[in-house]
Amino acid sequence: MAAKEPREKSDGSELGTTARQMRAAQPYINAVWKLVGGAVVGVLGGYWLDRKLGSGPWLLVGLSFLGICVGFYGFLREMARLGRRK
Amino acid sequence: MRKAMVLFASLFVATAWASESGGHGEGHEPSVPDYILHHVSDTNDFELEVPLSQPIHLGAIPPIRIGSCEPVMTDHGMVAPSGWSGLLQGCLDLSITKHTVMMWLAAVLLLGTLLIWSNRDKTKLVPRGTGANLIEMLVLFVRDEMAIKNIGKEDGPRYVPYLLTAFFFILAMNLLGLVPWMATATGNLAVTAGLAICTFVVTQAAGIRSAGLGGYLKHLTGGVHWSLWPIMIPVEILGLFTKPFALTMRLFANMLAGHIVLFFLIGLIFILGHPAVAVISVPFAFAIYLLELFVAFVQAYVFTLLSALFIGMAVATGHHHDDHGHAESDHGHGKAHA
Repeated sequence: MAAKEPREKSDGSELGTTARQMRAAQPYINAVWKLVGGAVVGVLGGYWLDRKLGSGPWLLVGLSFLGICVGFYGFLREMARLGRRK
Repeated sequence: MRKAMVLFASLFVATAWASESGGHGEGHEPSVPDYILHHVSDTNDFELEVPLSQPIHLGAIPPIRIGSCEPVMTDHGMVAPSGWSGLLQGCLDLSITKHTVMMWLAAVLLLGTLLIWSNRDKTKLVPRGTGANLIEMLVLFVRDEMAIKNIGKEDGPRYVPYLLTAFFFILAMNLLGLVPWMATATGNLAVTAGLAICTFVVTQAAGIRSAGLGGYLKHLTGGVHWSLWPIMIPVEILGLFTKPFALTMRLFANMLAGHIVLFFLIGLIFILGHPAVAVISVPFAFAIYLLELFVAFVQAYVFTLLSALFIGMAVATGHHHDDHGHAESDHGHGKAHA
């Protein structure tokens, strides 16, 4: 029995315009999501823990600040990496 | 043609007027929004609307509930927990509703028609007959214009069976909703969420297949120091759900909104309280009905196209991960040489 032919490697030329644009934009969308998501997770996590532990606004304030900082760090790191790739 | 249009309009107005008069007779006066919400909502109580008469009650399928489902006291008396609020109380409601029956009907119709139309004479290269050609055209469209153009010719064909299933199932449910006495299952948030969960699972599987489990999990950490993982991992996991959420809301809102607009145009006759309004609202409703026919295809197309796009992006993330890994190792070599 003949060996199975290896599948042709795609160079991406068959992709549609939308797919190519979305793939090009995806790293930037991810970077922006890190910026926003950090703050969202910090605020929601802090609010939930405050309600659970009854610790007033402190965990909300602390985790929000931490979330925003991590979000910024993730965003800047991603942008620096994208800059290096160019 | 003009006579047929006038006849259609008169029948429509007479039917709606008769239903409204029937409502007066019972001493209960449902408002137009009540009627519309009742019509588009899901229930396990089946009834058949008859033109110029009262609806025939077909009976209700007894609810199927699993878990702690003791009735609780509400503003409307003792009510058994159901839906999302019931699930939070530990009661899983698996009742067979109107929309469940519509999904079963769509699945049976699809199985029947597709098995008949795809069963062609294999000795001949070219399929014969309208059905076989129509199916071939749609299948080729999904494969060539959606799968290959969004995922790539290397990985695209692997996901064609899922994309075809999603396309035909959504199309069948959308079209069934436009048939009199039927309901639109895709106008139910739970149905669209179920479909989006299927796409979500396929997307994640495509990502794992492409990047490997290690690469996929590494991607979830966001590439930051391990001490920041407690914040970054929830951010990345939350980010995974934005795409299926968009799919859920888009299909649900489009299908529900179309039906509500259709009903409200007819309801204008009763809101404004004069039969002459029908001269405008009925042709408009007819036009919206034709638009809905188009929307049924468009929404099935959009859901499948976006599913293919998301799968393609997950596959590309894996490839990019590989490239990035190679690039980093090259970079490392460069440093070593320097």
